[in-house]
Amino acid sequence: MTLLLEGGRLLCPETGLDRIADLLIVEGRIDAIGPAEAAGLEGIERVDCAGFVVTPSLVDLSAELCDPGRTWLEDLETGSAAAAAGGFTTVLMSPRTDPVVQDAATVRDLVQRARATSAIDLRVAGALTVDLAGEQLAEVGLMIEAGAAALSDGGRVISSSMVARHAMLYAARLGRPLLLRPGEPILEGGVMHEGVVSTLIGMRGIPASAEVIGVARLTALALETGAPVHLTDVTTAQGVALLRHARAQGAPVTASVSAHHVLLTDEAVADSGYDTNTRLSPPLRSQADRQAVIEALGDGTIDAVHSAHAPRNRVGKEREFALASPGAVGLETALSATVEGVGDLALALSVLSARPARVLGLERRIAVGSPAELVILDPSARSQTAPERFFSKCRNTPLAGRELPVVVQGTLSEGRLVYTRS
Amino acid sequence: MSTARGIVKRKDLLGLRGVEADEITHILNTADKFRSISERRIKKVPTLRGRTVVNLFFEASTRTKTSFDLAAKRLSADGVSISASTSAAKKGETLMDTARNINAMAPDMVVIRHSYAGAAHMLAREFPFSVINAGDGINEHPTQALLDMLTIRRRFGRLEGLTVAIVGDVYHSRVARSNLHGLTTMGARVLLAGPGTMCRDGMTGLGRPDAPVEVRHSIDEVLEESDVVMMLRIQRERLAPAMLASSREYSQLYGLDMKRLKRAGEDTLVMHPGPINRGVEMSPDVADHQGQSAIMEQVTNGVAVRMALMYLLLEGESDDASA
Repeated sequence: MTLLLEGGRLLCPETGLDRIADLLIVEGRIDAIGPAEAAGLEGIERVDCAGFVVTPSLVDLSAELCDPGRTWLEDLETGSAAAAAGGFTTVLMSPRTDPVVQDAATVRDLVQRARATSAIDLRVAGALTVDLAGEQLAEVGLMIEAGAAALSDGGRVISSSMVARHAMLYAARLGRPLLLRPGEPILEGGVMHEGVVSTLIGMRGIPASAEVIGVARLTALALETGAPVHLTDVTTAQGVALLRHARAQGAPVTASVSAHHVLLTDEAVADSGYDTNTRLSPPLRSQADRQAVIEALGDGTIDAVHSAHAPRNRVGKEREFALASPGAVGLETALSATVEGVGDLALALSVLSARPARVLGLERRIAVGSPAELVILDPSARSQTAPERFFSKCRNTPLAGRELPVVVQGTLSEGRLVYTRS
Repeated sequence: MSTARGIVKRKDLLGLRGVEADEITHILNTADKFRSISERRIKKVPTLRGRTVVNLFFEASTRTKTSFDLAAKRLSADGVSISASTSAAKKGETLMDTARNINAMAPDMVVIRHSYAGAAHMLAREFPFSVINAGDGINEHPTQALLDMLTIRRRFGRLEGLTVAIVGDVYHSRVARSNLHGLTTMGARVLLAGPGTMCRDGMTGLGRPDAPVEVRHSIDEVLEESDVVMMLRIQRERLAPAMLASSREYSQLYGLDMKRLKRAGEDTLVMHPGPINRGVEMSPDVADHQGQSAIMEQVTNGVAVRMALMYLLLEGESDDASA
């Protein structure tokens, strides 16, 4: 299997590569870079990339694909299609399913079905605690033996510091990252960020301190236990400041934030007239928080951006705001939202590709011999977000109708085109 | 203030945030005219004959529900009331499905009270009928604020330049929120006072940029400066743990009794949206004070304000209305 990407701008934030050149892919790996090498090859498949950027494909650290148990919302096939259309070729699936992914048999089943049905690299995160309840340690060792790539709280905060501490001690030597959401559940009874906007529009608030307390707890425990903790969703200025401090002290902690938080603020709740698609967990924060998050992505305090893909249908969303299920689909909008949010293509690509890859022990780079995990995108095009054209089974996005930059033209996994824009 | 540049004919009234001063004036002027209907022996005009108004109340209410009921009846509209205890919500039907069914019966207007913010907005967005928000969670209760403003205007002849204190559980009060938006829009100065859990310093940001709200920490600080003092009820049903020490402490620190009222002066008007917890936020002799308490006037004006709104939303023209 040989494929030639012709005349694209090869952009690799990892290696600093940024030039127009051909790229030859043989047997799923990058075989050659440069105009001359491929010139003599006859009869091979060619893709014209003139005017487009060719860059490493994206890696997602947090997506709900709802399989097993809620496959009317998403399944491995539609989730993969949505991911590929968004430029992702590696997706870590949240254990937040029904039943929860918490035993070796379920992990093995998902790994096998993913291999059989998905054109991209779907990875399984196992639940750190039984039923994600934050009480009893799940069989994390057996799940890792069965192929789990990470352990996760599924976005449900472990409120007991003792359970979190013991889980870290136990899992520290298992060699997989622990994905944990910083929070303090007792302060999270509200429905949106507490601030001027929530006060103005009469909504119960979730104070930033809920996240700050969570960051303090998890980073202190990580420092003490040596467990490789990845904080999903650091969204506040104070949370960022504390994380920066903990990392400076040597805490083995990485972090990410959702693309929605990079682009949107709590104003979106007011401006949309209580649109339940703006109800997220953690909630959209203030403009000052958003600025701090962008700055933290720039200086590396926050490593990565994830999609926080959370499919919900009308049963979950056609409700009063306070009763609506939090979450938004994100796989097909994460890249555009991040580029728009940070205003810097190379930084956006880095935080969606090489940096999250590193959290999973992977690499994303354009170099001879590297796996051909690539995305071809049009950097100058803008398009209106059209949920009705999503590959995902769900349409719950706060970005509907919004014009955003960057259009994915094609996505390659293991050297094969797994998505082509029609 | 000229109404000549036209008041937009609106479909719904969801809140007072963003409603302009000339529109509020227009509503209050119309309510003033409708007020006389309730003073006649035959309290009925044919204005909304053949129109249907549905009252959809998902939270307990006596005053507001009766007031909307009577307003519809006095305008000759046909009214139906649905309350939470008798609705299909008890059987698990969602608000949207309840509203779809009501819509299928072709009402002209739905008046909704609901325990969550934004419920009225959702119906207004999805359905062709007019919607009046009769209270959504802790967000807004615009008709209450309008009747409060009508009451103040009838007493003082104006709103502009007055100082109005709102005392108590501002955080949980949709009445306070709507009044805040309305009063500052009309050029009144608003002072807030209450316990730190219920009246937070950050609430200064609630006013308009040109008319910021002031937060004070004690009732005595605001009384002397105020022309009007609105006392709020402690909403026990909405309180989270540790928001309040005791009713006894609250009434001593923030309650309005005769001693405090005397210090405020005999020109100070006392208001309360009801229901009153006598002896907590207000002593009985203050509540019933002849002359200084406007609490029953508020209720009377409520019917007129709701009649005016039903008329303006369903029949209103952009110009002068006459009853």
